[in-house]
Amino acid sequence: MRILPHALSAMVAAGLSETERKRFDNLVFHDEGHGYDAFGLQREFVAFGRLLTSPFYDKWFRVQSSGHEHIPSAGPGVIVCNHSGAVPFDGAMVWTDIVRKSEPPRVARPVADHFVPMIPVIGTVFARGGMVGGSRGNARALLEHGELLLIFPEGVPGIAKHFSQRYQLQEWRVGHAELAIRNSAPVIPAAVIGAEEQMPQIGRIPIAMMGLPFIPITLTPFPLPVRYHILYGPPVPIPELYRPEMADDPAAVREAAGRTRAAVEALIERGLAERKGIF
Amino acid sequence: MSAARELRKVAGVLVTGAETPIGEMLIRSLLADERVGHVLAVGYRPPEESLPFAHARRLTYVQVDLVRERRTHDLLFGPARDLGVEVVIHTAMARSAAAEGKRIHALNVDATRSLIQLCERHPTIRRFVLRSYADVYSVAHDLPILIAEDHPLNLSSGAPQWIRDRVEADLYACVQMGLSRLQILVLRMAEVLAPGTGSQLFDYLESPVCFRPMGYDPMINFISLKDSTAALEAAVHTDAQGVFNIGGADTLPLSMCIDKWGRLGIPVPGSWMTPLYRWRRRFRGHDFRYGMNRRRFHYSGVLDGRRARSVLGYTPSNPISWPTS
Repeated sequence: MRILPHALSAMVAAGLSETERKRFDNLVFHDEGHGYDAFGLQREFVAFGRLLTSPFYDKWFRVQSSGHEHIPSAGPGVIVCNHSGAVPFDGAMVWTDIVRKSEPPRVARPVADHFVPMIPVIGTVFARGGMVGGSRGNARALLEHGELLLIFPEGVPGIAKHFSQRYQLQEWRVGHAELAIRNSAPVIPAAVIGAEEQMPQIGRIPIAMMGLPFIPITLTPFPLPVRYHILYGPPVPIPELYRPEMADDPAAVREAAGRTRAAVEALIERGLAERKGIF
Repeated sequence: MSAARELRKVAGVLVTGAETPIGEMLIRSLLADERVGHVLAVGYRPPEESLPFAHARRLTYVQVDLVRERRTHDLLFGPARDLGVEVVIHTAMARSAAAEGKRIHALNVDATRSLIQLCERHPTIRRFVLRSYADVYSVAHDLPILIAEDHPLNLSSGAPQWIRDRVEADLYACVQMGLSRLQILVLRMAEVLAPGTGSQLFDYLESPVCFRPMGYDPMINFISLKDSTAALEAAVHTDAQGVFNIGGADTLPLSMCIDKWGRLGIPVPGSWMTPLYRWRRRFRGHDFRYGMNRRRFHYSGVLDGRRARSVLGYTPSNPISWPTS
């Protein structure tokens, strides 16, 4: 008998209200017959993940979010977001925010760097919550299944940025734009304000272990209780602006990525101007 | 499917590997199919040892060692021509990972090659179907989990003969597509979790305690015998050719698979797996080799069967009968 699934169910039963548990019965995912999708997502684990992240979401980072009306309630979509914080709490908080606020509940499928599935336990736990490794095939398959992707176009350089570079977008990779054009999916820009100050990074140790690219040297061993603000903006209308065959046109893809970058930058500026303080 | 296609008759179908569970079930199914005129079953053992129903009506059983090309030639240009065989379904390959060497290569690869070459100049055969394996695909952390037909193949130089032979036979058939006048279909099947099929995971699950690498729980896809034969039967009646992934109805994590098989799964450090299963093989005589399965015990790989669904009309619909369900 597998102990873990039973333990998860018991914890979810104890930690979530009946209404919230019933809400997860409506979770939209492509069940392959045994309660998992082909990528390893499991409904019970999503409920558990929502329970696990709640103390961080409600108490530690006290997340405030707006613009959920821009997230499609069904069908494919790509959420693009700034990335930072040495440890990817920003991804976890966006994931939690969408699971909690979407109706019926949707899971944003974070597209992680190639090394993440190699990390023992973490790779499996994240996969149960909906993460997929960052291969183009995975992202394309999910969009074809009408899923919602969560992509951080800055990638590892974003999370590894020095404290002095906070809120400055690093190199904005264009893969998300190509995917969105090819699959006629809208791109929803998002900005996370707060994460860039949670663990000021002052250096890093290069390391070749379990696929990790480096170990960050931060001023604090744990994230500071900064307040998170998550803002979603109006979709960049990729399907209206670009035909699917334009996904093979490098200039069109770069232009589309430029639009998404500008939209995220505008949201960051707005978020920084509106917040009353870091904490 | 149109009514005309429904009613199409195939004068004869030749099935190699008649003594295997897939071969036997396929032959039963073809005999029950009124669109098939005659079945020519080919096995390497005498009929009474291979097929309990070897003397059925519309069935001819021939004992042939496919490694001997002359015998294969005489089979095709003898009984196969006389019976008007139109379709060849090749399922005969060595089923044990322990089977290695020249003779095994001759069966796995050379026999496939000579069958295709002989079929090409055959007066009645127009289609060749190769039962291939999902094992030909590479599984890795940086490759897509959902495996389409254009997924990278496992061409690693360190791969065991069991895999190298399957890749070589599969590639040979693929290379002939378009060059040959034959319609060639390569069906890359998910693992059939049944005895006698050569399934590595079936052998793995035979122990009451199954060790798995700690921290990993990959998604695995299995196909039932019934679905695998349904896919091969669909290939008999299609006009299409090409490569098709044949997935099964069961996609689940390794830990759940162990649990549903009624075994005790114990996660252990990854470095323990090779010696543990080497000892098991040496002292208990099992066939499972961890080295051959190491990657799929870490990373998910699930066949994407959309092409088979849209072109062959094959949809997996018969899940495996799990002992504990």
